[in-house]
Amino acid sequence: MKTLLRRHGLALLCAALAICLPLCMEDSDYAMRIATMALIFAAASQCWNLSGGLANQISLGHAAFFGIGAYTSTLLYIHLEVSPWLGLVAGGMLAAVAAAMLSVILSRLKGHYYALATLAFAEVLRVVANSWSSVTGGPIGLTIPFKGDAPLAFQFSSPAGYYWISLGLLALCSLVFHRLASGASGYRLRAIRENEVAAEVSGIDTFRLKLRLNVLSGALMAMCGTVYAQFIYFFDPDSIFSLSGISVKVAMMSIIGGLGTLPGPILGAFFLVPLEELSTSFFSDTAGLAQCVFGIVLIAAILIQPRGLMAVWGLRHRFMKGART
Amino acid sequence: MNGLQALLDGIMLGGIYGVIATGLSLVFGVLGVVNFAQAEFLMLGMYIAWFLWAWLGIDPLLAAVPTALIVFGVGFVIQRTLIERVLAAPPAAQIFLTVGLMMVLENGALLAFGSSFRSVNVPYQSEGFQLGSIFVGAPYLYAFLAAVLVSAALWLTLSKSWLGRAIRATAQDGMAAILMGVNIKQIYGLAFGLGVGLTALGGAVILPYITVSPTAGGQFVVLMFTVVVLGGLGNVAGALLGGLVVGVVQSLSAMVFPVQLQNLVLFLIFIAVLAFRPQGLLRES
Repeated sequence: MKTLLRRHGLALLCAALAICLPLCMEDSDYAMRIATMALIFAAASQCWNLSGGLANQISLGHAAFFGIGAYTSTLLYIHLEVSPWLGLVAGGMLAAVAAAMLSVILSRLKGHYYALATLAFAEVLRVVANSWSSVTGGPIGLTIPFKGDAPLAFQFSSPAGYYWISLGLLALCSLVFHRLASGASGYRLRAIRENEVAAEVSGIDTFRLKLRLNVLSGALMAMCGTVYAQFIYFFDPDSIFSLSGISVKVAMMSIIGGLGTLPGPILGAFFLVPLEELSTSFFSDTAGLAQCVFGIVLIAAILIQPRGLMAVWGLRHRFMKGART
Repeated sequence: MNGLQALLDGIMLGGIYGVIATGLSLVFGVLGVVNFAQAEFLMLGMYIAWFLWAWLGIDPLLAAVPTALIVFGVGFVIQRTLIERVLAAPPAAQIFLTVGLMMVLENGALLAFGSSFRSVNVPYQSEGFQLGSIFVGAPYLYAFLAAVLVSAALWLTLSKSWLGRAIRATAQDGMAAILMGVNIKQIYGLAFGLGVGLTALGGAVILPYITVSPTAGGQFVVLMFTVVVLGGLGNVAGALLGGLVVGVVQSLSAMVFPVQLQNLVLFLIFIAVLAFRPQGLLRES
């Protein structure tokens, strides 16, 4: 218990604070909505971090899985009245299959080529969702029928409900990340990241390991998509399969926070989501400003500190430790 | 629409796709960086040509030359100040630097020019040439001829001039090029400028039959990458051929599939080529 506290004291404190937050912010719906959005994106970014940060598979198409999740649960609910809770699982399974297929097809690709292929995959789904109107509703998008207070239909009257679910989702994604990043699989993944050929020669089944990461990453990403759809009630193909709105954003959060680290995506999301919110609410009639600022932040982060906020924090941490002894 | 007409339409479009994508291929061939912001330089070229037309009354086909020069300068500066710093970095840094650039350019255009669609008025806009049952629109034909001209000029530059030889040497082996007295940092800047300048030129010559808006580049992103990947990333001649193939596939598939699904065929070809022949269709594996 003592070692647990010492090693994960900060993380436990953050978790405890995060769980209690809605109790003291119940009267500020707006702040709760931003916090929930940040949690959903932190979870999605953690999914990206699973394949992008751990195995160096830089995907520019994670919106594909996000959209699969959102469409699966919403279509099941609208047409067959299946509860989005089951839709969440169905979406995850469908995305797992899609991720497995994609992983097998693209197993030989690295770096730029992998990024290009995943980008095209999300674009394919966007085109399909836009043109297959009879099923997907086409470019108009889908609206989730409003039920109000119906926890069984994944709808809550207070923002706290969505908040806790998103927090749980983030915890799940982070737990999966932690399990894979530590222990034997962590060593294998680090070997792949440093030198894939050398890892392969040392007897690591890189194909299977990457497949496992991609399937988990895709399935969890789809769950994020379902929660996102339930939270905002409306989405269309261009926003849910968006390159800059989803795919780049989730990757960017990991990079700005700290690629391949567990707190990275969380830091990144809690930096970028409020930043976006601030710039849209301050300059509401200036379209494009938030995205423009994002681009500048991304460029600056890569040029100044490619290892992200975590590295900045790590430096300070080490400095304080040094001062204490 | 008969097959012959579709084939011709495809070739007219494909020539332009070739020029646009050649710029992307050149940048990758020399710098080893996939420029995700490349399509935004197309949009930039379209805007510059539009303003040259609106303010000075210059025909976009002529405005293409100053447009390419301006974007060449912009590209040179961007390469020397930003791209240069990630040339030795891991692919992730290179990818997201150009992705960041893409976001800044697209949304910067939205801030500067607004979201309205702009188009030009030129006398030959609705003219065309009838050849039996086949019809060619004048703007398409002129743009195609411009593309052919530019491709020839590029080929001459790359194969005959000192600069062209230096660019090819840098692409083949940077260290050897340094030993032969080539200032490869300068060449990187020039190649990037040339690459985005070519793409901007392509944007200017298609202005008579297309409208420009801040998202104009976005429509070409996957298309450009498909062209380049078909020809083999970094292969300039391959990009021209890839352009023709993509143009023809696009216009032939329009005969079979509804318009919205036109690009779907391209995307699937793109993923298939990447997965099974990432070195392109031309090169030996």
